[in-house]
Amino acid sequence: MRRLDPRYAWVRQLAAFAVVLAVWEAAGRADMLNPLYAPSPSRVGAALVDLFSDGRIWPHLEATFSAALGGLALGIVVGIVLGVVAALVPFIAELLEPVMTVLNAIPRVILAPLFVIWLGIGLASKVALSFILVAVLIFFTVFTGIRQVDRRLVERVVTLGGDRWALVRHVYLPSVASWVLGNLKIAVGFAFTGACVGEFVAATHGLGYLLSFAQSTYNAALMFALILLILAVVLVIFGIAGRLEKRLLRWN
Amino acid sequence: MLEGASLTVDDGRFVSLVGPSGSGKSSLLRAVIGLQQPLSGTVETKLARAQVGILFQDDALLPWKTARDNVALGLTFNGMERSKALAEAETWLERLNLAGFGDRFPRHLSGGQRKRVALAQVLAMRPKLILMDEPFASLDAIVGARVVRDVVALVEREGISVLLVTHDLEEALTLSDEVYLLSQGPRAHITEHYPVPIPRPRDPVHSRTHPAFAPLYERLWADLSREVDHRAEAA
Repeated sequence: MRRLDPRYAWVRQLAAFAVVLAVWEAAGRADMLNPLYAPSPSRVGAALVDLFSDGRIWPHLEATFSAALGGLALGIVVGIVLGVVAALVPFIAELLEPVMTVLNAIPRVILAPLFVIWLGIGLASKVALSFILVAVLIFFTVFTGIRQVDRRLVERVVTLGGDRWALVRHVYLPSVASWVLGNLKIAVGFAFTGACVGEFVAATHGLGYLLSFAQSTYNAALMFALILLILAVVLVIFGIAGRLEKRLLRWN
Repeated sequence: MLEGASLTVDDGRFVSLVGPSGSGKSSLLRAVIGLQQPLSGTVETKLARAQVGILFQDDALLPWKTARDNVALGLTFNGMERSKALAEAETWLERLNLAGFGDRFPRHLSGGQRKRVALAQVLAMRPKLILMDEPFASLDAIVGARVVRDVVALVEREGISVLLVTHDLEEALTLSDEVYLLSQGPRAHITEHYPVPIPRPRDPVHSRTHPAFAPLYERLWADLSREVDHRAEAA
């Protein structure tokens, strides 16, 4: 078998994708597909253009972004603080660890209806869902990370005459930062999952709300368009997170 | 575990402690520098804490700091201004043949280069005594020999005392002025003391051709083997 040049993998992948789309489109035009279930790519494209052309998509995008980024920021801050405190204070660790373990074990999106009851159908319940998804992830990242910090680095700093503050600044902080950055992409994914699921359950705005609207009106073209849109949004944020990670972890 | 070890390192002397693994050689060094408390007894030194440096088996450099920042670290801990510490660090990197590598992160250095950075880090503190815990064991032969040669030259020039623990008899004899032999653990103790009459300055690679080397090596080898056999019989 001829060896494939790995540099051009993306060309082949793109070509294959184009073929699938072409066949799909052709089948749609030949009336071989029911547009109610599988609208042709051109219909999906039209739905996507439609969303933007009359501008009604913007408030929804804004709602989802606000919820996801708010939950992400809160979740990272609270996750780091709780993780650090639990790693340093054994009593806190005793109390927190079982709670976090349970929260980690369950699919946390089941909390969505509860948050709606507690916080209403507005932004707060979506931020809360995003937050709980992210915070538990970051808590464990930081908590286990600090407990597994390289003893040799600690001893090196101590034997060079570093005090407690030097240890925090030169060993613990950089370690925590690298673990959090290493999990940033996963956290971003979680944050958007939280926001969209929260909106799907009960909302007046957001991409998740539009999805549930598309479902209730049996609008498959709109649904595909929304899925594509969410995909694009997450990919862009992934790209930003990836660059940030690469820049800040350039020593790695 | 080590029991009742008593040894002295005089000013400017290179002293080695050899013994089988598990005899507590590393623990002794850790006790001297205060990373570990002896169960009983004391460690006496007329040196201040900052005058004692330690070189570990692993280089243990901070991965997120460049070579230069790693070397400057100890200097800033002891109150030196950062810009001055960085200049000083660069000087030490040059002395260890690492000119031009200051901006590299440890991950982008070879094992021998990392060892040199770790050495620069310790030497920059201008210690009176350096404790070495098998620091050259992880390097391959040629690289190791070159690092060792540079270490010996710098230590001789600066008049630094060294306490090296190793299980490599040849390394101990070619580098040291005195060698202590540690018995097999548990309850290891110091059994012998050998002065090494090879003159300084030394080239560690060619020290082994000195007439005093071979007989001493034989004696040390025989004593160490007897020690290991003895313990094996007792067990």
